[in-house]
Amino acid sequence: MIRYTEEELFQLKPVSDLPVNFDAEEFRAIIDKVKEIQELQEEEYQQFHRRRSSHHHGRPKIKHLKPKITTDADGWSTFEAPVVRRKSTVVGAGSDDEVAVKEPVVIAQETLKVKPNNKNIASTRPADTRDIVADKPTMNFNAFAALESDEEDVED
Amino acid sequence: MSVEEVTQKTEDLNINESTVLSDKDFQLKHPLNTKWTLWYTKPPVDKSESWSDLLRPVTSFKTVEEFWAIHNAIPKPRYLPFKSDYHLFREDIRPEWEDPTNAQGGKWTYQFKGKTPEIDDLWMRSLLAVIGETIDEDDSEINGVVTNVRKNGYKIAIWTKSADNKEALTRIGSKFKTVLKLGEEAQLEFFPHSTASEKHPQPSLVL
Repeated sequence: MIRYTEEELFQLKPVSDLPVNFDAEEFRAIIDKVKEIQELQEEEYQQFHRRRSSHHHGRPKIKHLKPKITTDADGWSTFEAPVVRRKSTVVGAGSDDEVAVKEPVVIAQETLKVKPNNKNIASTRPADTRDIVADKPTMNFNAFAALESDEEDVED
Repeated sequence: MSVEEVTQKTEDLNINESTVLSDKDFQLKHPLNTKWTLWYTKPPVDKSESWSDLLRPVTSFKTVEEFWAIHNAIPKPRYLPFKSDYHLFREDIRPEWEDPTNAQGGKWTYQFKGKTPEIDDLWMRSLLAVIGETIDEDDSEINGVVTNVRKNGYKIAIWTKSADNKEALTRIGSKFKTVLKLGEEAQLEFFPHSTASEKHPQPSLVL
């Protein structure tokens, strides 16, 4: 068996390029053409078939802070305004802004009291059980009867 | 004849300094053990193209000088488009596991993940080891050598005639590992072609 080591094969490497027995130009042209087509296909794919997030459909995800609402035993809900986040800023050393940043941030703790359950206003149900008592017609007092009563005359 | 006369006659001799080696048309060529054929798998650019359309022989050679001429004339693996393959196979063996010479054999394979800037050099070293017959000490167990160019990296594989001669295959695998400059931690795997149609074939040998 004829064998050549790697070194021997390197020693036999011709200094100048020898002619080959096939059309190397055409072979290289085929490869260049395939590369060109692949690049076009890749470009087209990127343009029209780019994978999108199935969750957001391309829209940016914006996180809304939910307002904190607490409801007391009487059915009154308290709405607490969310604390506004301070944006981080780059300030120069010793500037007035830096001093301002270091000052304690006073966040207004104002609360708004709102009557909840708007749906109940439009409905036939009373919003508050106490209203049931208040709205109940009183049979003990009759205004017309009072006008005609003898008690006033007595007072006069 | 006097000494002076002999000296004179010798000087008058017209020695033709040119030999057969100085003839430009004469080129001494170093024969290889067998003929080798280079095949190329063109990536599909049209859905109508079948495997047989894509796999084509490029050229054949029998000498060291012809090998170098071809090697210098064709694009190196790093230049090839994705899904391209180069196959160098002995004689007229087709680079397919269905070929009768390959059917009972297998392949030692290694995948280089990522860009692998040294792939051209590793491919050339593999070619030299195969055509120089230094990777196989005993007999012509080697059928060919293949490189696959893919998006996620490159593969280089040596195809063997048999898949059950564990001793010979282990020797070939060890040398192949050296040729590919693989460290101890790298795993070279041998897959018999009989498992080629399986979904997740397991290597029968690992080095």
